[in-house]
Amino acid sequence: MIQLFNVTKKYGADSAAVKDMTLQIDKGEFVYVTGASGAGKTTFLRMLYSAEKPTKGQILIDGQNITRFHSRQIAFLRRKIGVVFQDFKLLQSRTVYENVAFALEAQGKKRYEVSKKVYQALKEVGLEHRLQRKPLELSGGEQQRIAIARALVVDPLILLADEPSGNLDQDVTFEIMELFKRANARGTTVLLATHDHSLNKRFPRRVLTLDQGKLIGDQQPMAV
Amino acid sequence: MLDVIRYFILRALRNMRQWPLLCFASILTMAVALATVATFFLVVVNIEQLATRWTQEIQVIAYLKKAPSQNNIANITKNLKQIPEVETVKYVSQSDAMDRFKSHLGNDASLLEGVSKNLLPASFELGIHSEFRNQDGIATVIEKLENQLDVDDLRYGQQWLERFNHFAEMLRFVSMVLGGFLLFAALFIVSNTIKLTLYARRDELEIMALVGATMRFIKIPFMLEGAIQGLLGGLISLAFLTFSFVFILTRSIESFWLTPSGFNLVFLSTNQQILLVLSGVLLGVLGSLSSLRRFVRI
Repeated sequence: MIQLFNVTKKYGADSAAVKDMTLQIDKGEFVYVTGASGAGKTTFLRMLYSAEKPTKGQILIDGQNITRFHSRQIAFLRRKIGVVFQDFKLLQSRTVYENVAFALEAQGKKRYEVSKKVYQALKEVGLEHRLQRKPLELSGGEQQRIAIARALVVDPLILLADEPSGNLDQDVTFEIMELFKRANARGTTVLLATHDHSLNKRFPRRVLTLDQGKLIGDQQPMAV
Repeated sequence: MLDVIRYFILRALRNMRQWPLLCFASILTMAVALATVATFFLVVVNIEQLATRWTQEIQVIAYLKKAPSQNNIANITKNLKQIPEVETVKYVSQSDAMDRFKSHLGNDASLLEGVSKNLLPASFELGIHSEFRNQDGIATVIEKLENQLDVDDLRYGQQWLERFNHFAEMLRFVSMVLGGFLLFAALFIVSNTIKLTLYARRDELEIMALVGATMRFIKIPFMLEGAIQGLLGGLISLAFLTFSFVFILTRSIESFWLTPSGFNLVFLSTNQQILLVLSGVLLGVLGSLSSLRRFVRI
């Protein structure tokens, strides 16, 4: 599903955020990307949804080399990828329904299809009763669940989550992890960038460890 | 397809409703910019119109040393009419000149009692075709006149004509420079206002790109919004212009001492009014488009 070949991303002449990274992630995998702040986790994820282009190397997603994509192809690539951020990135002036519907409307989906899917996605995250609320009227955990609903409403092949629990307490974090697990069980490949080791202890999965832009570890989960 | 068009229109209208203050600022900026340019255009057009009106009064008067015989007048008139620059020829006999003078004097005409009817010289008054009412045209007429007639004196407002030519040239130059400057300033202000409104909505643009909206899908509602705002700005500027034309410009120019009687001020023609409103639409679309380029990157 995701293949990287000698990928390097430099922002200046000397500062490489990602160095010579080669890896493969299969369809339906659940992978943690860990490392200290500045290890290159965010840059790695940003390259996967083409917000950044690698300075060197190739990235293949679902068999397509995305490093050569034009803006229109990038738009279509992003329709297969759901992204969740630490700061939720919700539109505060819009309702919960509108925030989730936004992802489908942007893809030009029909109205009846939009309303049906939005309701299902919000039901999935347990917020179907908050359709008309604005994000600021909700708790942090609820806001993150809306962001997850927005990412999942398009039935993505890949779900990228960049420190999704960074602003949340542990109980809420575990609730959110359940949502990721359920999406993964339906076949979505999940990549979760985090520096929270407790997640891996509670939900053991493959772990990619980055340090100063280099991939220094690739551990499969211990057999229970 | 209809669903998509409906979505674009609804999104544009919803955006405007969600940011009423920004929307109002854009509309007002465009209205002020368009009204400024159009007012300037109107003033220049009217001054030119006024100046053209002045030139209509230009005529060449040839005072004769000796009044021609009655038989000769028709001949000379015919010859003068053959000069291509000359439109009309009128012979003013010595007695006609005296009658005119008397009527000018009005109640004081009695002063002329006992004065010979042949005191004033006979003259030919030549009207000039509009395209020759300039320095060169008049010079040609004078040269031909001097060849054909025994002229004592010529009157054609030479100094005035020279000054007018300078004035017309200066007016054209200043209007081009100032008009260009105003247009540039208007574009600059409008594009910056739209940039500010987009800056306030950069999150929305970022998220749209993130969830897989194509560039076209992101841009069209914003361009539509720019077009609607431009249309409203254009209509407001037209309303303002009509108001200021009727209540300010008409009155101030009428009181201008050089305005000839019966001179009517010119307002924008229907086509120019449509052009003004369409300029607003174009300004809005281009302003949005140039600013979007800065904020939308996929």
